[in-house]
Amino acid sequence: MQSFWSRAGKARRWRAFAPLAVLIVLCILIAIANPNFIEPRNLIRVANSAAVPLTLAMGMTFIILLGSIDLSVEGAMSVAAMVLVLLATNDSNANNYGWFAVVAAIAASTVMGLASGFLQTTLRIPSFMATLGVWFIGLGFSVYMLGGSAVRLMDENIRALALSRFLGFPLAVWIALAAFAVAIVIQYHTRIGRHIMAIGGGEDVAELSGINLRRVRIMAFGLAGFFFGVAGVLAAAQLGQSNAVIADGRLFAAVTAVVVGGTALTGGEGGVLNTLVGVLIVTVLANGMILLGISPYIQQTVQGLMIIAAVALSLDRFNLKIVK
Amino acid sequence: MSDRASIAHFGQINRRTLMMGAGAGLAVAAMPKRLWAQGAPTLVTSIRSLSNPYHAVWKTGAEAYAASVGLEHVTLVSEGNSEKGIADIKAMLAKTGGNMVLNSDPNDTPDARPIVEACKSAGASVVTQWNKPADLHPRDFNPNYVSHIEFDGIASGKQIAEILFKAIGGSGGIIALGGLISTTAAIERKKGLDEALAANPNIKLLDFQVANWKSTEAFDLTSNLLTRFGDDIKGVWAANDDMGTGALEALRAEGLAGKVPIVGIDGIKTAVDAVRTGEFACTITSDPFWQGGMGLSIGYNAHMKKFDPATQPPEHREFYGKVVSITKDNVEEYYKNNIDSKPTMDWNDLWGRVTGAIRA
Repeated sequence: MQSFWSRAGKARRWRAFAPLAVLIVLCILIAIANPNFIEPRNLIRVANSAAVPLTLAMGMTFIILLGSIDLSVEGAMSVAAMVLVLLATNDSNANNYGWFAVVAAIAASTVMGLASGFLQTTLRIPSFMATLGVWFIGLGFSVYMLGGSAVRLMDENIRALALSRFLGFPLAVWIALAAFAVAIVIQYHTRIGRHIMAIGGGEDVAELSGINLRRVRIMAFGLAGFFFGVAGVLAAAQLGQSNAVIADGRLFAAVTAVVVGGTALTGGEGGVLNTLVGVLIVTVLANGMILLGISPYIQQTVQGLMIIAAVALSLDRFNLKIVK
Repeated sequence: MSDRASIAHFGQINRRTLMMGAGAGLAVAAMPKRLWAQGAPTLVTSIRSLSNPYHAVWKTGAEAYAASVGLEHVTLVSEGNSEKGIADIKAMLAKTGGNMVLNSDPNDTPDARPIVEACKSAGASVVTQWNKPADLHPRDFNPNYVSHIEFDGIASGKQIAEILFKAIGGSGGIIALGGLISTTAAIERKKGLDEALAANPNIKLLDFQVANWKSTEAFDLTSNLLTRFGDDIKGVWAANDDMGTGALEALRAEGLAGKVPIVGIDGIKTAVDAVRTGEFACTITSDPFWQGGMGLSIGYNAHMKKFDPATQPPEHREFYGKVVSITKDNVEEYYKNNIDSKPTMDWNDLWGRVTGAIRA
């Protein structure tokens, strides 16, 4: 009996590193097939295309740790990008508020996050539905404000987030890393971080031990909104424009990255470090498939297989009582 | 308790409610005939969404036409939902008693049939654009189904490819970004590219990738392709402008904007600007402003019996429209007429942009 438990423990510890192992194997395989992969120029590109997904996935991680889901990613990002582009120098109106536009953009999407949290806790709407609603509200709002067209971002300072570099990496990468650092601090060194883990692990137990569920939920969704806002700013800076559908497909990418990194959809297990690995797996895979010249017709299939494999590896699924 | 009571009685009707309901129903039923039967038709535009520049311009064209003939205009948006698209049209047919002219970009190919059938039985006039099943023909629904308009994707894909080849000096490697693989436009435009490549053996297609019509995906793809092929990339062929602008930003991040020409399709403002700065070699457009206005104009003229659809030649019933190409040579003029101001269009020139009957 003793040996069985220690073996199970070892297996669990091994599984925690499975996503990292997958990432390393993936990198080695791609590098063997095409040595261009490890060229510094390419690694910088990988980092650059990971910047937006990483920032988004940081926010999503906290929500999934809670055992909830936030579907408002695309709406929140699109509102942030819309606010940014309409307040900064652009080709559609005469505004020119510079960095204030960035602050306003992030604030707008944070408010949307707080609203999601508020809707759930006050009206007792499941996060799935509440955030779905917020997604469409946000999207509709930015369609209305942008009049359906793409508006160009012409503020040189904000464009510099994507175009200028520090130590070889575009500033967007450094901002994504800063977002990552903030997420680490929140998860491991603050009370809210510990409370989120506790609620994800067992909501009733957490409540009995005196955690204010309502406050933690609202704050967690606000936090997620904050990260989505930063991602929206980075995306608009990268593309040099903003349209209502700037965030198309980002929801799927963010959830995939979090889950592939080994954070359980049931909540309370995993964290932002896992998510970093998950984002890198997804980005390296996409980069690698293009470097290897894999037909676009089968790339999606490979990505799907990858997700299933990563999730199967990273969780001790055979001990789960229920699979839903 | 009161909740439960009201639920239990839900559906029960007393005599007064019944009378009032019936009265209101009769009044509504009586209204449309009297109000609309002899009146001018309502112009109706049915499009997919207002969140893309293409359909936004389409709507401006429709409104410009409606203003030019002084008629009421209604825009229906399907939001990519076929059921909603069809249901909205049926609701409008009921509201106008069939006295309406519909210009529709059906959300999906099969949608065209129920839309046309509903218009036929209500007596409305309809013009469809882009999507219809191959076996659905305007001539089978005389006089209600007036015309169907498409743009030849093969010709467009080929035309921009040839302009790109010329821009890079007739030889070298290019990369190509395709649209969502399951859409007709994506398949046709790629076919056009293939034809142009076959005719130009000195041009090498380094890689063809799919960016699903989106600039974000094109951005990532182009950065990755730059790693794989580096300086071998002399030009970028994009199946639409949105992907082209994504590619442009990826080139800009590497300091290559303007050095590697891009071509696209749609004529969106960002692409037209890029043609002006020399970063795009060309973009071509089906001219959604024309599509929005002319679709209504053709339908309205038929509805008012200015011409009889049944006597029109086949190339007026199912035709390819002419695309407008925007290159360095004409970009300033195009900008002045179409972007700085609303274009002026001769809405009575119904068949001026017919380039031929649609291939069977």
